[in-house]
Amino acid sequence: MNSDTLFKLSDIRFSYDSEQLFDGLNLLINQREKVVIKGESGSGKTTLFRLLLGFETPDKGSISFKGSVYTDTIIRTMRKEVVWLPQDLNLGTGKTAELMDFIFEFQSNSQNKPSRPEIIDTLEALGLEAGTLASNFSELSTGQRQRIGLACCLLLNRKVILLDEPTSALDLESKRKVAELLLNNDRTVISTSHDPWWVEKCDRVIELNNIS
Amino acid sequence: MDIIDLSWWQLGIGFFILIIPAWILWRYKTGLNKKLGIATVRMTLQLLFVGYYLEYLFELDNAWLNAAWIMVMVLVADFATIDRSELNRQRSLVIPIFLATFFGIIVIDMFFLEAVIQLPTFLSAQYTIPITGMVLGNCLRSNVIGINAFYHSLNEHKERYRFYLCCGATRNEAVFPFFRDALKKSANPTLASMATIGLVSLPGMMTGQILSGSSPLIAIKYQIMIMLAIFSGTVLSVYLGIRLSNYFVFDERDVLDSSILKK
Repeated sequence: MNSDTLFKLSDIRFSYDSEQLFDGLNLLINQREKVVIKGESGSGKTTLFRLLLGFETPDKGSISFKGSVYTDTIIRTMRKEVVWLPQDLNLGTGKTAELMDFIFEFQSNSQNKPSRPEIIDTLEALGLEAGTLASNFSELSTGQRQRIGLACCLLLNRKVILLDEPTSALDLESKRKVAELLLNNDRTVISTSHDPWWVEKCDRVIELNNIS
Repeated sequence: MDIIDLSWWQLGIGFFILIIPAWILWRYKTGLNKKLGIATVRMTLQLLFVGYYLEYLFELDNAWLNAAWIMVMVLVADFATIDRSELNRQRSLVIPIFLATFFGIIVIDMFFLEAVIQLPTFLSAQYTIPITGMVLGNCLRSNVIGINAFYHSLNEHKERYRFYLCCGATRNEAVFPFFRDALKKSANPTLASMATIGLVSLPGMMTGQILSGSSPLIAIKYQIMIMLAIFSGTVLSVYLGIRLSNYFVFDERDVLDSSILKK
């Protein structure tokens, strides 16, 4: 394993109840790569993210982050360096600004809490108006909520971003803006997607059916 | 003014009123009639048992015996909270919820019985048992609302909880919105009844005191005190119940043990 390896999955076996999803899954993801994971519904794309994030434990095999095999401590360290956006983000009820602020007020984020102008700039770069902050989050469209989630990920300024179907609710103009902000830098971006446009923009495509 | 004692046959007549709700429930095929029958029989037997038991308890008036009875009440409330919250009776819940309810009750009892009322004898049965019972009954109701709301909502919205963890939250930070909602849901019914008490409803304790010959003013003073005790006890026990069980129902990776939830 070279020093650039970010995640390494070795001989992973995983099943939900009695349904086997992975058997002998091997995968290497390097730092700064823009990887997209493709696969049919139910092929285990979301489960793969859960395994990477330490929310599920494989029945067999090992996962490592920057060369360290997953332990409870490594998983906690990894979660401080990685940010993950689920496909349909639901932050509950309340003003969007308050729900975003809640995230930036976590103790680990207190050192780099973004200012209001920084938040507005990021929203505008994603094609959202500043007025969105005053709206109730639950009244936003799926596409707006997705971009609010992306804004949180960008503002947290992590080196590794995991995105579950990041463009599923976006129009072409918004997709361009998202790709511009996420893919043209030295971050590692690991995404799942069915969207041919997004797949084409990424460096490497992983067909989940083939590796498992 | 002497209280009119109810004879057993008078009480028996009282049961006939159930024909009306039973008919309505049967007419609309609610399937609740069997439950109504079981609940009525249980309520009658449990109260008869407690009535006879309390007669002895009051006669002996021993602090240790009273404390033991409180423990029994808390234990029953503990299992009832878990069952009605649609959770499984696992050690990771039974012990923390028992401790939370017990500690909540002890704080309230010590404050109101010993510091406010200043009982002449420690844990005097005449005051301790009814006041503890009233507070505990309300703690049970609030615990069920709060604990059910917390764990089921956390399970239903686990993506949100996980998103917070991946945004750098500690477990306590990530569960904060769920905890806040659970507290709001559990405190709201008591707050609503505090806001309308006396106008819409005359509470049971006050009615009981007036019926047994106390002056309405004494009854009202006790009622105000019991409302303060109920509200403080319920919030405290929900808070402690969730805080303490959270030490046992998450693993080291902050994943909720979903086996605590009834499918």
